[in-house]
Amino acid sequence: MGPLAGVRIVEIAGIGPGPMCAMLLADMGADVVRVDRTEAADLGMKRDPKGDLLNRGRPSVAVDLKSKEGVETVLRMIDQADAVIEGFRPGVMERLGLGPDICLKRNAKLVFGRMTGWGQSGPLAHAAGHDINYISIVGALHAIGPAGGAPVPPLNLVGDFGGGALYLAMGVLAGIIEARTSGKGQVIDCAMTEGAASLMTIFYAMKAMGRWSEERGTNAIDGGSHYYTVYETKDGNYVSVGSIEGKFYAELLQKTGLDKVAGLPAQSDAAKWPEMRERLSKIFLSKTRDEWCAIMEGSDVCFAPILNLEESMAHPHNVARGSFVKVDGIMQPAPAPRFDRTKCEIQKPPSVPGEDTDKALAAWGFSAAEITALHKAGVVKQNPRV
Amino acid sequence: MGPLKGVKIVELAGIGPGPMCAMLLADMGADIVRVDRTEDARLGMGHNPKGELRNRGRPNVAVNLKTPQGVETVLRLIDQADGLIEGYRPGVMERLGLGPDICLKRNPKLIFGRMTGWGQDGPMANVAGHDINYISIVGALHAIGPKDGPPVVPLNLVGDFGGGGLYLAMGLLAGIIEARTSGKGQVIDCAMTEGAASLMTMFYGLKAMGRWKETRESNTIDGGAHYYNVYRAKDGKYVSVGCGEARFYALMLEKIGLGDAQDLPPQLDQAQWPAMKQRLQKIFLTKTRDEWAALMEGTDACFSPVLNFEESIQHPHNVARNAFVTVDGFTQPAPAPRFERTKSEIRMPPSVQGEDTDVTLKAWGFSDAEIAALHKVGAVKQNVRD
Repeated sequence: MGPLAGVRIVEIAGIGPGPMCAMLLADMGADVVRVDRTEAADLGMKRDPKGDLLNRGRPSVAVDLKSKEGVETVLRMIDQADAVIEGFRPGVMERLGLGPDICLKRNAKLVFGRMTGWGQSGPLAHAAGHDINYISIVGALHAIGPAGGAPVPPLNLVGDFGGGALYLAMGVLAGIIEARTSGKGQVIDCAMTEGAASLMTIFYAMKAMGRWSEERGTNAIDGGSHYYTVYETKDGNYVSVGSIEGKFYAELLQKTGLDKVAGLPAQSDAAKWPEMRERLSKIFLSKTRDEWCAIMEGSDVCFAPILNLEESMAHPHNVARGSFVKVDGIMQPAPAPRFDRTKCEIQKPPSVPGEDTDKALAAWGFSAAEITALHKAGVVKQNPRV
Repeated sequence: MGPLKGVKIVELAGIGPGPMCAMLLADMGADIVRVDRTEDARLGMGHNPKGELRNRGRPNVAVNLKTPQGVETVLRLIDQADGLIEGYRPGVMERLGLGPDICLKRNPKLIFGRMTGWGQDGPMANVAGHDINYISIVGALHAIGPKDGPPVVPLNLVGDFGGGGLYLAMGLLAGIIEARTSGKGQVIDCAMTEGAASLMTMFYGLKAMGRWKETRESNTIDGGAHYYNVYRAKDGKYVSVGCGEARFYALMLEKIGLGDAQDLPPQLDQAQWPAMKQRLQKIFLTKTRDEWAALMEGTDACFSPVLNFEESIQHPHNVARNAFVTVDGFTQPAPAPRFERTKSEIRMPPSVQGEDTDVTLKAWGFSDAEIAALHKVGAVKQNVRD
């Protein structure tokens, strides 16, 4: 059982970073309950919830938040929680009767984690948006892409996940540490814009010192240099090279045969990067990806084959470490990071909305009679697993 | 003062994710000491240490780890710490006499955080590498980029930062929560490969369900869809559009003048996405980025201008929220996320190597006589801020 055994979290179901945050905490052993809507199962989304891996590791309770009793049911769970996670637009929790004032009055040590794209305040706070928009206004999207081309969205890894879920998970844990000493909870305003900006901190510094060009694809580590970039191989696959340090760069030159060429420009001579890239491109095109692996992988060139999802699960290093695990028939990334004593585990596969309603309510202190009464009033719903 | 006031962390100076992790914890109020080398570690790269923003918020102590007195000095710091951050290759801490066995024997409640690219074991464990390599073997780099071009490097946001610094920060806090109950510490093996894989969890789930194509730019949020994409505007600048939901999509169409178009395919008709992308691109080329922003920003069209750093700092939403702060002349992303009661802050600008040696050793319980003795044998060094 992970390090967060005994930490109780109420997650108000949402999309993107909230579920990812709850997954991370559940992977680490937290006792999380996901509060889904009673209508959620009836949205006509035909997809099998088994593959919604962000919902793994915790039960789902379906509650009608439009009824007074439904809200009171959720409040009773929040009363017992260390933290709540929600990702509605600002003001929605308040309108539901689940705002921080009410929750913190009932549970003074509660950490109230609010996950939004733009944050709880500011001119854009109430506008709709997604990852691609949030990372647009903090310089992250602008910086990613090929030289001379359009910016390329890095999936939703920088806003939703890296800059969202991870910042909230970290923030919630920091808040719990503090609350356990002070006895006081508080609200966390976690904006994906600002998490993404925080991830970009070193680039703001480099820019200020004149060491970063705002032209995409022209810097040392944005694909601009020949020694930190991607090359195509003979078989149409790709490899990555990240030989920043002089001694690793020397190894790259040696393994590509360039060490025998006289008059090569200095590694850091940015004016010569395009020329060197062309040279290396030709060399890498002369062998297949796997041939290059045989030559370079495991050396200090700083090399790796670029693998798709399928290939990643079969890579010997990932296999040796058990980086992917199979749960309910689906191979998926294992909990990270790894604890040597309180080992993390995936507590259960993703639940269908409302699949665990009765059991989870019982575990959170509702009596059988109370649960029956809630059903009778149509406040909660128990759904079967499809 | 942030929520981690009173939490003590020893950071062994490294590069990349370790300092980022320490910065996040320092921003949240942790009492961190950064143990640097006594030799000049600037490596002749002409770096201005005052601009190394990842080193903000904590004092820098220069210790010679090749002397027994230096090692004992660090052990005395570790004796008092809740957590340790180190990012050497596996086995280096052990060789220095600072391995987990020794440290945990002296301080049983210590969380020993180990940050590496490949993890502490597995065939690649002792191999050099960088972010670009780590994200290569978990399917992340493969998934980012244009369909007809090579993968695009997302800076080092996915390995070093999102998948590294953040996972270790989260892991350390989870470990500390557990140690404060159990009285027992442990080792955290934080591999950037696995942090990056964890960030990719959703895509592994989609793939398993047949809902993700392993061809770049062929899925909803990898640049494949016309409604989640980047477009060039008349002035050569770019805008981002991310409207997955039907009602937001309808609003976007209306704003760009396609509200009444009769010949539009259904939003989710993937076969039509390339044609729709071309159509939208033509339209976005008719106005400048800022003209589009005037029309669409702040609405539910899920729109943003794609801004560079300079522009991001000045964007009204970021200004209204103080998303950037200026410290010691450097404008930089503010601490994230935001705590309502125990506010995070940047307590000091980045220190020069060894700038705070004497005052910090004193704060961690060393007497003047002890500090003088350490200087005499060359175990520590006090440098001046220039």
